[in-house]
Amino acid sequence: MVEFAEVLITGLLLGGIYACIALGWAIIYKTSGVINLATGELTMIGGYVCFSLYEKGLPFLVALLGMLVIASICGILTERLFIRPMIGEPLLSVIMVTVGLSFFFKAVVCLIWGADTRVFTPRIFPLEPLTLGPIEIGQVFLYSFLVAIVLMGVLIAFFQKTRIGLAMQATADDEMAAMSMGIKASLVYRWTWMIAFMACGVAGALLGNINGLNVSVSYMGLLVLPAVVIGGMNSIPGAVVGGLLIGVLQNLGDTYISPFFPGGVKFTFPFIVMIIIMLWKPYGLWGWIKIERM
Amino acid sequence: MLRLPCGTKFDNYRADHAWWQTRWTWIKMFLLFFILFFIIPRFAGEYWLGVFNMLGYTILAAMGVQLLIGYTGQVTLGHAAPIGFGAFACALSMYLLGVPYLVGVLIGMLAGGLLSFVFGLPCIKVKGFYIIMTTMAMQFITTDIILTQFLGPLAGKGRGGVLAIEPGMFHIGPWVIYTDKDAYYWMLILVIIMQWFMANLMRTRVGRAWMAIRDNDIAAEALGVNIVYYKFLAFFIAGAMGGLAGCYWLTTQSIVSPEHFPFAWSLWLVGVILIGGVGSMYGHIYGAMFMTLMLEFIKLALVPLSSAFPTLAGKFLFLKDFFFGLAIVLFLIFEPNGLAYRWWRTKRYFQLWPFPY
Repeated sequence: MVEFAEVLITGLLLGGIYACIALGWAIIYKTSGVINLATGELTMIGGYVCFSLYEKGLPFLVALLGMLVIASICGILTERLFIRPMIGEPLLSVIMVTVGLSFFFKAVVCLIWGADTRVFTPRIFPLEPLTLGPIEIGQVFLYSFLVAIVLMGVLIAFFQKTRIGLAMQATADDEMAAMSMGIKASLVYRWTWMIAFMACGVAGALLGNINGLNVSVSYMGLLVLPAVVIGGMNSIPGAVVGGLLIGVLQNLGDTYISPFFPGGVKFTFPFIVMIIIMLWKPYGLWGWIKIERM
Repeated sequence: MLRLPCGTKFDNYRADHAWWQTRWTWIKMFLLFFILFFIIPRFAGEYWLGVFNMLGYTILAAMGVQLLIGYTGQVTLGHAAPIGFGAFACALSMYLLGVPYLVGVLIGMLAGGLLSFVFGLPCIKVKGFYIIMTTMAMQFITTDIILTQFLGPLAGKGRGGVLAIEPGMFHIGPWVIYTDKDAYYWMLILVIIMQWFMANLMRTRVGRAWMAIRDNDIAAEALGVNIVYYKFLAFFIAGAMGGLAGCYWLTTQSIVSPEHFPFAWSLWLVGVILIGGVGSMYGHIYGAMFMTLMLEFIKLALVPLSSAFPTLAGKFLFLKDFFFGLAIVLFLIFEPNGLAYRWWRTKRYFQLWPFPY
């Protein structure tokens, strides 16, 4: 029972990081309809930039802020150079642009930082676990969860309070109507990519603190896809819940199923659950049900 | 559309519908076959034969992707899974059941097709992005779990998930496929047969139904196309083509490992058809040629450069990904119809010269 609670809580805390990445994914999908398969690489870029700044001797929070600035510049550049020419092209082309970007970003990161695993030294979060009665939790997970939750709160407030956030919501709802009300779509897309880069970057910096940074961080971006599918693709709260759920599922699968099926269960179990949910509820838990007309 | 020189006419439909319509096309094709079958194996060295084998494998593998994406509109990002599954099914059936290679190829094709079919099941209810997700799930479940954990160790040949291949294991009758040259001829035969099969398939009722589904599936259903059946058929046949590619891959290798079929390979195949031309009968061939030969040219360029920049040689893998990603993005932005379209435009320009159209 104690083990179950530990697994559950650690999964939930880890899920906070996935929720961040899922948020970055869902924002892009919601406002511009682009399915971003380069999410994992955005995560990787954020993680490595934060790592570089931290290695220069900056305190972690300053490094995180610096990373946010650099990530937003990267977001603007990506949107301007690669995504804007694709407006109005078929869906597959835009998806494949992001696939191309994922190869490109990964290669750039490996060319700059090399393929070896990099660890944040000195450690930022202490190694000793926190004890809550009989349950023990790693501190890294707890703080990561807190940072992720704060980021999500900021983002949700941004969506509901600021002018540009409201413009983004309007664009997500109906692009044509929003444009005729005087909202500049290109500005909205630029903000979208900036925010996506930032959210993924924070997740990358936190993941780097848990496992160290290497190419495998980019596969975390793929893991987020089941999260958004389960949550419903155009729902921001759905992405958060889906991310948390994926964390829990991953940990449960790792603890209780992998003894029977050696290896790999941790990463494939969310996908299996996703397929089952898709057969039952194809538009996720909170997704908009699309009715197609001719 | 193909344009013919002025004055060319046909007296019957048979001649009008032929693949090679004029005598000049026949001469060109025979020249091509002569080069492929006699000139290249005679004058290309062992290394370049290996490159050509890789090229043929890419063509075979991308064919199923072309069928699914280019002709049926079902975007797949997991096509390496049926390839790997087919390869393992072929090798395992040869080890465990002792069947000859050709029967193994059939089993491999069937296995790849069934795998693709099973993971294509959600296409009853969903489409678009969700099909991408299920095919990605197929990729991870097959390569990371089924091949690595279950199929690889089954035969007890090799270590872990890796299957060793005995020399001279693959033979068709008395012809042992052992050297690169044998594999080259086998590749040519397979590519020609499969290309012929696919080109003709697209002219039948099945192919037209697929294209109708690609263009607008709701309209296709309203016109009486059984879209569930045809989508399943597309997944099955594409998977079987993948399985065949896997069975061919075995003949060029001394081991077969799940690591040969990673997610990146699935993406690579999609990139190949995007660069070559989606929905074009020759798109995957042009794309495979571009990608494979581009890699060779990067390698050739790296050799002199690496003496100046010694760190460059170790980074070939990343440079490969760098150029591949950039090529996909630039092609999509500047030439979304791919190399096949560009080739067609160029040809038409010379045919119509000095008139613009």
